[in-house]
Amino acid sequence: MIRGIPHLLLPSNLCTTSLGTGLCRTIYSFSTYDSFKFSRSLKARYLQPSRIQVARVLNNDQNNAQSVRYISTTPVHWMFWERDRKGGYGSKEKHSKKEMIRAGLKELRGDMDKMWVLKENKDLEEWVITCDQDHNEGFSSGTVTLSPTGHGLFSGELSTQVPKDGVIKKAGYVNMRSLRPRKSFKRETYLDWSEYNTLELRVRGDGRSYLINISTAGYFDITWNDIYSYALYTRGGPHWQLTRIPFSKFFLSSKGRIQDKQCAIPLDRIVSFGISAVDKINAPFRLEIDYVGVYCDPDHTEEFAYEMYKLPKFYIY
Amino acid sequence: MNAISYVLAGRMNLRLLLPRAKNASECLQIFSSINKVVYPVRSIASSSALQASREKRDPDTRLSIQGYFNSNNRNKESFKAACEVFKVKERHLRGHVEFIYAALKHMEEFGVHKDLELYKELLDLLPKGKMIPQNFFQAEFMHYPRQQQCAIDLLEQMESNGVMPDSEVEMMLKNAFGKNSHPVKKFGRMMYWMPKFKNASPWSLPDIVPDEAFELAKLAVARMCSVDPTSKLTIYQTKDVEDAVDDTWIVSGMSHIQEQLVEEHPVDEPIKVEGPFRIFLRDKCVGYFILRAESKPPPPPVKPSEIDDVSNIKHWFTGVMEEESSLVKKCSVHEQEDGIIMAICATGTSSRDSLLSWIRRLQVTNPKLSSIPILFTQASPIGDIMTVQEPVGEVEVK
Repeated sequence: MIRGIPHLLLPSNLCTTSLGTGLCRTIYSFSTYDSFKFSRSLKARYLQPSRIQVARVLNNDQNNAQSVRYISTTPVHWMFWERDRKGGYGSKEKHSKKEMIRAGLKELRGDMDKMWVLKENKDLEEWVITCDQDHNEGFSSGTVTLSPTGHGLFSGELSTQVPKDGVIKKAGYVNMRSLRPRKSFKRETYLDWSEYNTLELRVRGDGRSYLINISTAGYFDITWNDIYSYALYTRGGPHWQLTRIPFSKFFLSSKGRIQDKQCAIPLDRIVSFGISAVDKINAPFRLEIDYVGVYCDPDHTEEFAYEMYKLPKFYIY
Repeated sequence: MNAISYVLAGRMNLRLLLPRAKNASECLQIFSSINKVVYPVRSIASSSALQASREKRDPDTRLSIQGYFNSNNRNKESFKAACEVFKVKERHLRGHVEFIYAALKHMEEFGVHKDLELYKELLDLLPKGKMIPQNFFQAEFMHYPRQQQCAIDLLEQMESNGVMPDSEVEMMLKNAFGKNSHPVKKFGRMMYWMPKFKNASPWSLPDIVPDEAFELAKLAVARMCSVDPTSKLTIYQTKDVEDAVDDTWIVSGMSHIQEQLVEEHPVDEPIKVEGPFRIFLRDKCVGYFILRAESKPPPPPVKPSEIDDVSNIKHWFTGVMEEESSLVKKCSVHEQEDGIIMAICATGTSSRDSLLSWIRRLQVTNPKLSSIPILFTQASPIGDIMTVQEPVGEVEVK
C-alpha cells in the first residue's frame, strides 16, 4: 500500500490501515456516503476527498439508478503531527490549573475511609469466626452478632484448658477475620491501602487486650503465613474509644512467632483484616465494634518502628 | 541457696545423712528435720529390698521425679526446698532435664510462675561448659538437643508469664550452651521484644495487679473515668447512710461535666442504674455499675431559609457555599448515642442496697438527683450483665 494514494477495486468488508506514521487510512466496506466531520480549514488545506463512485444498475433498469454505492475512504491527512488529541471529536473543555488544584485539595482532605462498618446483619456476613474448638484443639467459642445498640459485637468465651491429646501444649484463641476481596469469577485479589498510613477503630471493649492481625499472604509459599500484628488495648467501661494505630507499628509474624527479620507492611498487598482474643485469660470476652477505617495522617512520617538494618550474608542468624 | 550455706557453714553434713534415704519423700523428711521446718510429706510406698544398696536403686522415672513436688504446703519455700533436695540427692544432677520439666509444670501450683529467682535456680541445674560446641559439626547440629530444648521451654514459660530475664540468665545460658546457641538466641529475642510492649498500653497497670477487691475497684473506676480528665474518685462507706443494710465500701467516679449534665437533666425523665458489667484488669475481673440517662436526640437540621444573607457567600478557595450549620454546644464525651453516662461506681457487695446507698450519697453533692426518678434495671444496651449470686461481691474470674 502506498501512502496517500487511495485504493480502488477492493473487495467489500476489507479494512486495512497503513503503517506509516502520521497518515492513517481506513477503507470501509461498501456503504452509503456519509459526511466527515472535519473542520473546514483542515478540509480545505489537507483533504483530498476521494469518492469513487461505482454505479450499479439494478434490475437492468437504467432509469432507476437509485442505489448508488460508493467506496468511501477517509481523507488523507498531509500532516507531520496530530494537532488534536481527540482527532477533531470530543468537547474542547479546558481546566485551568487553579481549578485542578481546588478539585485536588477537596480529595486530599484527609478524611477517614471506613473499610468495614458493622451496622446491619449483612455486614456481619463479611466476617469469618474461627476458634480452637473448630479443630479440636481447645474449648473456646465466639461469635459476631449485633449488639443491643446496633453495632457489631465480637463476644464469646476464652478457655485456656488444654485438650488431653498429648500433642497440644497451649490453647485458647478466638479469631474474627474479614473475607479476602475477590475480582470477577471469584479470583482472589488484594486490598490496596497504599494511600493511607493509619488504622482507626471505634470500639468498646471490656478492658482486655486483643490482637489486630493484617494478613499479607503473597504468591510464594514463604509469604502464605505472613501476618502483621499489633495489640488493641481497650479501656473498658461504658465509653466508646477511638484507637488509631499507624501501620508502621505493626510487626511481622508467621504462624504465631515474631520473625527476626522485620520489614514494613506492604500496604498494597493486604489480604484480610482480623481481630483475635488471645490474652490467655480464662473468661468471657466482649468487644463492640462500630467501624474499622483507614486514613492518612500527614504528620506521621515514621517508616517502620522496628530495626530495619540488614546484616552481612556471612552472619548466621 | 539457704541450704547450701548451711552445709558450707559446716552445721550439718547432709551428704552423710541423705544417702540413707530411700526415695525423694524421705529426703524431704530428713531435710525438714534438719532445718526444723515442717513439711508434711506423703510417703511413697517402696520395696526396701530393692533399695538396699545405692547401686541397686530404682531407676528414676518421671513419676518418681514428681515426688519432689508432692508437699502439701505449696509455696516458694517448699519449691526451693525441692530443688535443694534434688541437688543433694543427685550429686551429679542426673535427670536434671526431667526435673526441670517437672518443676516448670508445678510452678503455677506453687504460685511461683512469675518469680525470676526460681527460674534462675532451675537454670543453675544445667551443667556449665560441658555442652558448649567444640567443633564445626557440633555447632552446626544442635549440640545436646534435649538440654537446649529444655532451656528453650523454660524461657518460653518465662515469656508467657511476662517475666523479664536479666544478665545473670544470659551468663548462665552462655556458660551452659555457648554464645551462639538457640537458648541464647531466644534470650536475645525476649530482651528485644518484651521491653517494646511492656508499656505499650495507654492505660497502665502495676506489674502485679492487687488481689484485694477494694484496690482493684479503685484501679478499675480510675481507668474507666480516665476518659474525662476532670473526673474525681470518691470513696463512700455505706454505714454513713441511714437505713443501709450492707456495710461495705463504694468507689464512685464522677466529673463536674457529669454533674452539670445531671443539673440540666429534665425532672420527668428517669435515670437508670445499670449493671453489673465486667471490666478486666489483666486477669482480674471487677463488676461496675453506671448511672445512665437516655440520650438526647440530635439537633434538627437547619433550614436554609433561616440562614442570614451574610453567610450566603461562596468560600473563597473551594468555590462552594458554606455548609448549612447552626451553633450547637459540642457534646461532651459522656453524651453518647446510646445514653448519657452520669456516674460510674463499684461496690463491695454489688447488691441493690449498696447501690441505693451510693445514690443517697450522690444526692448530697447533686441535689437535683433527689427529684429525678431513679430506676434499677436488669437489661442494658451497654453490655452483658454479669450473673452475681448474692451475697458474693464482684465475680472474680481467674
